[in-house]
Amino acid sequence: MNDDTRHDYLWDGSGEPDAEVARLEALLAPYRHRRALPPLPAREAPPRRRAMAIGLQFAAAAASLALVTAAAWSAAALRPSGWNVESLAGAPSVAGSRLNSRSRLPVGALMTTDAGSRARLDVALIGVVDVEPNSRVRLIASRPGERRLALDRGGISARIWAPPGNFFVNTPSSTAIDLGCAYRLDVDDDGRGTVHVDSGWVAFEYNGHESFIPKGAICLTRPGFGPGTPWYEDAPAGIADALTILDFSSTDDVRRPRALETILAAARPRDALTLWHLLSRGTTAERARVYDRMAVLAPPPQGVTREAVINGNRAALDAWWNTLGLDSASWWRIWKTPWK
Amino acid sequence: MSDVLRPVELTAEQAGDIPAIGQRPATVRFPPGHAAEDGRLVRSARDGDTEAFARLYERYGRVVHGLLLARVARDEVDDLVQDVFLTAWRRLSDLRDPAAFGGWIAMIARHRTTDFHRRDAEFVNLADDIESRGADASEQADARAALAAIRALPQAYRETLMLRLVEGMSGMEIAQRTGLTPASVRVNLHRGMKLLREKLHR
Repeated sequence: MNDDTRHDYLWDGSGEPDAEVARLEALLAPYRHRRALPPLPAREAPPRRRAMAIGLQFAAAAASLALVTAAAWSAAALRPSGWNVESLAGAPSVAGSRLNSRSRLPVGALMTTDAGSRARLDVALIGVVDVEPNSRVRLIASRPGERRLALDRGGISARIWAPPGNFFVNTPSSTAIDLGCAYRLDVDDDGRGTVHVDSGWVAFEYNGHESFIPKGAICLTRPGFGPGTPWYEDAPAGIADALTILDFSSTDDVRRPRALETILAAARPRDALTLWHLLSRGTTAERARVYDRMAVLAPPPQGVTREAVINGNRAALDAWWNTLGLDSASWWRIWKTPWK
Repeated sequence: MSDVLRPVELTAEQAGDIPAIGQRPATVRFPPGHAAEDGRLVRSARDGDTEAFARLYERYGRVVHGLLLARVARDEVDDLVQDVFLTAWRRLSDLRDPAAFGGWIAMIARHRTTDFHRRDAEFVNLADDIESRGADASEQADARAALAAIRALPQAYRETLMLRLVEGMSGMEIAQRTGLTPASVRVNLHRGMKLLREKLHR
């Protein structure tokens, strides 16, 4: 097709009028949008970040009140009964029926894709999730503050534009919590998961064990162990394999010392993300070695002592995190509140 | 534009599927300047600035109207447009990336049309008469036929042609407001118009 848009009447009305197009324009013009914006109700000022945990509760209450008073126009969009789903390829199965075009995935229902099918879920106004081939997902919850899927196996690509902490994906070994991002999450038939983050942040959490994964990083999760340690995709060779040993082996595994040595030797200042997570894992001796290496690559702030860090002092770990250029730890703590 | 909306560089032909406006296709791309202005307006509106929101209504009212008209009866559309914008007004805080307003409002519009459809029953019992405006019976019949023919087109074509032929937007305006690339809009317009001509002259 010609890229030259000059004198293309269909493109912008310029050039020689196309009689058919002009006739349709005249015929259809009476249907055009004309109505003015109605009077707007007062809206609450947005909550500040550091008061977000309280603000979210207030906003939820305000939203509930607004929903009652404006049910005529908003109930349908917000109803918790399910999410719209459309087929992107093939014929996915939704609640036991073949999906040919569009439908709705009710809360509690199962959707599966085979090798030749894909589907797109609208996450109740806050984002979209593409379900990749050979996947099995269930809609667990859809209500303000909690939109939750379970990914039993297969893969999803999620793009979420709601505030952090609204969208969750349960996997067999961890829960992925969206912190405002786009990411790809895969789970194999043994329940082992992998997340690749394209933008923003994702948190993995399992029984109080947590990992924060930023844009450009990867993190694994394993049944029985929970989330592993994140690493950047461009991390030096050997780090990923060594982390797999450290994260998913018992503390008496004979491979651990060498694995840790590999990581510490190869780590760059940018890999402080990885080392910071290791500061609160493994044995005391391992944490001490990690501290010594990280102190060289990204020195701790004044007041953060080796002893406090090795002993898992939360304030010390947070203070160090705050110097890494990875956003504020207090920000994470605030957002964590609603997960619990 | 935010990383969340970072486009994948695909032409419509490469993508295989022509992207539809109400969806969030891989080719979504809001021009930086346009998106930045949207972002500024959204931030002001979040602080309660109704004038800023009125500007967003000016920028996206025709888009929302066109998307809705592509799916539901004309009698319902005006009220639905207002519903969509009132929903957006109340839920602005849910929009993480203010510059993504265009894609977000399109998604709200699509959600609002859901209640007017049941699978395999779209466009049944539509009431599309143009009251008054001096249109005679013959013109009304032609207009209804044209509208029905556009609605019978594949989604991407029907939405783009609604914005061009009904809302009077240029191809570039459609691209700027919907996030589709100009090339995709151009493809939609020309392929859609070709199909429309065939339907109207069948």
